[in-house]
Amino acid sequence: MSDPMNTANISIELRNICQEYPAPNGQAPLRVLDDINLTLDKPSITMLLGPSGCGKSTLLRMMGSVRPLGVPTPTRGEVLINGVPCDGPHDDVVMVFQRYANRPDLTVWDNVAFPFTLKLWRDRFKRTEWQAMVEQALLDVGLSDKKNMRPAQLSGGQNQRVALARALVLRPRILLMDEPFGALDAQTRTETQLLLTELHRTHPCAVVFVTHDVSEALLLGDRVVVLSSQPAKIADDFEISEPRPRSATWRRSSEAVRLEERILDHLHAAGQGQVRITV
Amino acid sequence: MSLWNPAQPLSPRTRTLLGVGAVATVLLLWTVLSGLELVAPNKLPSPWKVASAFAYLAWDGEAGRSLLATATLWSLGRVVAAGLLVMLIGIPIGVLMGASSHINAALSPLVDPFRSAPVVALLPIMVMWFGIGEGMKITFLFLGAVVYLIPMVRDAMQAVPQTYWIATRDLGGSDWECIVKAVLPMAMPRIADAITVAVSVMWTYITVAEYVNAREGLGQLIQNARRFSAMDQVFAGIIVIVALALFTYQGMRWLRARAYDWETGQ
Repeated sequence: MSDPMNTANISIELRNICQEYPAPNGQAPLRVLDDINLTLDKPSITMLLGPSGCGKSTLLRMMGSVRPLGVPTPTRGEVLINGVPCDGPHDDVVMVFQRYANRPDLTVWDNVAFPFTLKLWRDRFKRTEWQAMVEQALLDVGLSDKKNMRPAQLSGGQNQRVALARALVLRPRILLMDEPFGALDAQTRTETQLLLTELHRTHPCAVVFVTHDVSEALLLGDRVVVLSSQPAKIADDFEISEPRPRSATWRRSSEAVRLEERILDHLHAAGQGQVRITV
Repeated sequence: MSLWNPAQPLSPRTRTLLGVGAVATVLLLWTVLSGLELVAPNKLPSPWKVASAFAYLAWDGEAGRSLLATATLWSLGRVVAAGLLVMLIGIPIGVLMGASSHINAALSPLVDPFRSAPVVALLPIMVMWFGIGEGMKITFLFLGAVVYLIPMVRDAMQAVPQTYWIATRDLGGSDWECIVKAVLPMAMPRIADAITVAVSVMWTYITVAEYVNAREGLGQLIQNARRFSAMDQVFAGIIVIVALALFTYQGMRWLRARAYDWETGQ
């Protein structure tokens, strides 16, 4: 991996991405993503919003090269990471899911250290080096005092922080998050959002964050990309210059309310145009 | 206090009382049946006759030897030898089957039918192939247990949620690392269960294994006693096997709970 602090040349480029799924009983294939072009080249947080089922997770998985079995993705187009076409898991990219796959048989410390048991990462760092990285990641997410516990002994929010630490310990230059806080209660979600804001300030990296929560998009995003539905195109793409953490006062400001309505309009338009397909 | 609730917690006192009560009831029934000679003594010896047979087998003062200790050591030795073989061969095969759809598709037609096959019926074949010595006995025990172990180990691997495989893959693990670093450790508690079942199965087959060319072992002891119509010794021998099986079972459960304490409450 190149210098983790060198965040100057990060880029994810989606070029003419189309995704089709074969339809049952011989109908025309179902087009989910239609000619998506998107370039992300700053260590900023990009929020990816869209109606449920519009294909935003599919798009995120393409960036992380997580390929579902059986269906080639993307059907057309290509994903470039730092200018290079990407067709397999990329070292600079780490994903965090809503379902934090923390291992119940490992302690918090071992969960965060898990990547270093894999050859790919073990070969790159000395033992003392990665051990220090694990300690630092635990400190960053505020779980140093829980490092000998098992995931079952932690709350949902703490478990999500373990998953976050396991991703950040690799110092990724690109962090892909698929509704990571979707399963948390409101209070914990707010805390974890603040933590992410803080972590992003100290470890800048390009974050792509899929959500269906408009408030979350406004609180966290430097840039908001809204997808339409069936098939998904980019319906809107704008930047928010307000620095984080964003206060409740800003959230009630005319700017924020205007942006919220702008997003909701797109989502409603997408929702109305949506053709329900039952398989 | 609810009678029809499987989750009802019982005090240790109640638990012991119910357990001891049930055993005492059976002993009482046994005493009454044999004491009143409702069942002929050569079919059902009384508890004290079994107890004295047990004492005689445990220590024969005239000959200065313990038939029971010798027989137990022989049987135990066979179960341990066959058990090691079962684990050494069965676990890797089950793990490989559970790790790869291809290997599973190839091997399951060879393994799965034997789970419901009468392994005892294979005994004559074992005798023809391996003779009547230790080789035959251990092979028979091995076969009887391994046909249960392999599918159970395979199922244990397959029962691990795919999420852990995918998550390891996402972090840059190779396919093989996903199996070795994620799926296998997550399957270990159920693999331990499979070993426990396999050992229990071997204790049920030990007498069959030792019937042929019986020279030593608990199976031989029972067989011999039966030939001389010493029903009290037959009973004593069976009780020893049951006790040994129970002891190994409990011991293995205890080891499993200690080794995989994270698994409780999952």
